[in-house]
Amino acid sequence: MSDLALGFMSFPVLLLLIFLRAPIGLAMLLCGIGGLWLATDGTTVFMARLKFEVFTTFSSYTLSIIPMFLLMGHFATHSGMSQSIFKAAQSWLGQRIGGMARASVGACAGFGAICGSSLATAATMGKVALPELRKYGYSGGFSTATLAAGGTLGILIPPSVILVIYAILTEQNIAKLFVAAFIPGLLAALGYMLTIAIYARIYPDQAGTHPRLPYGERVKPLIAIWPALFIFALVVGGIYKGWFTPTEGAAVGAMGTGLIAFFSRSLNWTAFRDSILQTATGTGMIFFIILGAGFYNGFLALTQVPQELSSWVTMQGFSPWTVMVLILVFYLILGCLMDSLSMILLTIPIFWPVVSALDFGMTTEEVAIWFGILVLIVVEVGLITPPVGMNLFIINSMDKETPMTATYKAVLFFVGSDVLRVILLLMFPAITLVFI
Amino acid sequence: MALLGGGVLCLLICTVCVSIIGREINGLAFAGQLGSVGDWLLARGVGPVNGDFELIEAGIAIAIFAFLPLTQLTNAHAKVDVFTSGLGAKPNSVIAGFWSVVMAIIIVLITWRLFVGMQDKLRYGETTFLIQFPIWWAYAASFVAALCASVVSIYCAALRLTGHRTI
Repeated sequence: MSDLALGFMSFPVLLLLIFLRAPIGLAMLLCGIGGLWLATDGTTVFMARLKFEVFTTFSSYTLSIIPMFLLMGHFATHSGMSQSIFKAAQSWLGQRIGGMARASVGACAGFGAICGSSLATAATMGKVALPELRKYGYSGGFSTATLAAGGTLGILIPPSVILVIYAILTEQNIAKLFVAAFIPGLLAALGYMLTIAIYARIYPDQAGTHPRLPYGERVKPLIAIWPALFIFALVVGGIYKGWFTPTEGAAVGAMGTGLIAFFSRSLNWTAFRDSILQTATGTGMIFFIILGAGFYNGFLALTQVPQELSSWVTMQGFSPWTVMVLILVFYLILGCLMDSLSMILLTIPIFWPVVSALDFGMTTEEVAIWFGILVLIVVEVGLITPPVGMNLFIINSMDKETPMTATYKAVLFFVGSDVLRVILLLMFPAITLVFI
Repeated sequence: MALLGGGVLCLLICTVCVSIIGREINGLAFAGQLGSVGDWLLARGVGPVNGDFELIEAGIAIAIFAFLPLTQLTNAHAKVDVFTSGLGAKPNSVIAGFWSVVMAIIIVLITWRLFVGMQDKLRYGETTFLIQFPIWWAYAASFVAALCASVVSIYCAALRLTGHRTI
């Protein structure tokens, strides 16, 4: 069998392993090792690679940003900032129709600015906002769907772990990607708020309002969120302005949130230990997938599959836009089954050569950033699409009275808003690229 | 083990922060904006931490290897279970048992290759560029952590095969 055929053969094998519930990192590692074994007729090559590649993957300066951002997010979760952000959002947005739900989305966006993970954002804000929403008469399905959707803002609004991975895979500037994600992130929050307004008008019995607060009383909760704003500005601004490298920015952010949590007296030994342990499992999981993806992509590169696929797509003379839409739809479908990080690591090395060879009338860097943001959004939609949206599970498990089907039904409105936003960003790349 | 790795991570974060502060002060002092205090600081050798890149690269590898046992123990690896969830308990536990054995084999393989890699680095006496830190030290520490991960993964596989663990 030729190397190329071997490369193409590996896709169904890999998918089969993954669908048979193999840990995704392990499945990729096995396919990579197996592929190298067959392609080079022996064990020498992969045995030699295993000697150093595992250590080199783990000791990457660029990738060290991931455990630091994770730790920052876990410190933020324990810092009590989620409460103050929610209070601030509630005092400004609470009195409108569906206002408490809008406040939850606003708070998720705010928390997303100091936390790079959607699951953590959903879980943290869920704990704070869900009881409040229920108290003000929001239906279980509506509340859980709102928070699950709001949670996806965690990764869209910088800092974002997935964007870091994307930047490394496509060799793009992390700072520019962070900046590019900012407006789509705000659009997402506004889109969700609009969705809530529509939903609350269709089903008025499912939403309540919070009494209007005088402006005087609104200022205080706003002041209370300065630490979060400060950290966000320091980390993202610092990375963008080039004061420090992204890794250093992540370290500053982790240190800063840790100190804030410590001085707000919420970071005791138990909370600290929890943060470390959760960072540990998260990091272990992510790096195992990165390791597997490294081996699998090494094997694919050897077989020339990405290049062949890319030139094949170009030869067919498809319109670039058709290809782009097909890729995004593919992500939407795959997102219903797989977690976002694995999807990015598995597919970007194959899709990026294809996309970068297409002519959208933009520079390669612009296409990379634009494509990155679009992919980020569609994989995030996967977190709230039934049947396996992780955010839905997390939030739904917090509310024992609400059946999963109620959450599924309400979340479809938010998925609709996501799809509209993707179409908007797809049609007008300038929205994403305005600051680049 | 994971806490140890966490300790290393925190140390790295502190190193980076100190390094940034040092670099900024150093830059300001050189530009003469801090006056005589700046000169005093410069004379004390205040500046970025020498070789902070290298320290981070070595440290982060150790931390991540140290995180693996816990990931293994808590079975936190990402999987896709939509297609198998309909199969019922018995086939699922067989599948889980099978993968935990494969996982253990792979982790032991990684640990063994890491050991061989360490011997190579030791033999050639490779050091990092700036601070001449022997690379095999980082390999050795990672090897200890990986060994721990091997033991844990074998233990998990054994528990699963004997039916003491079902999740």
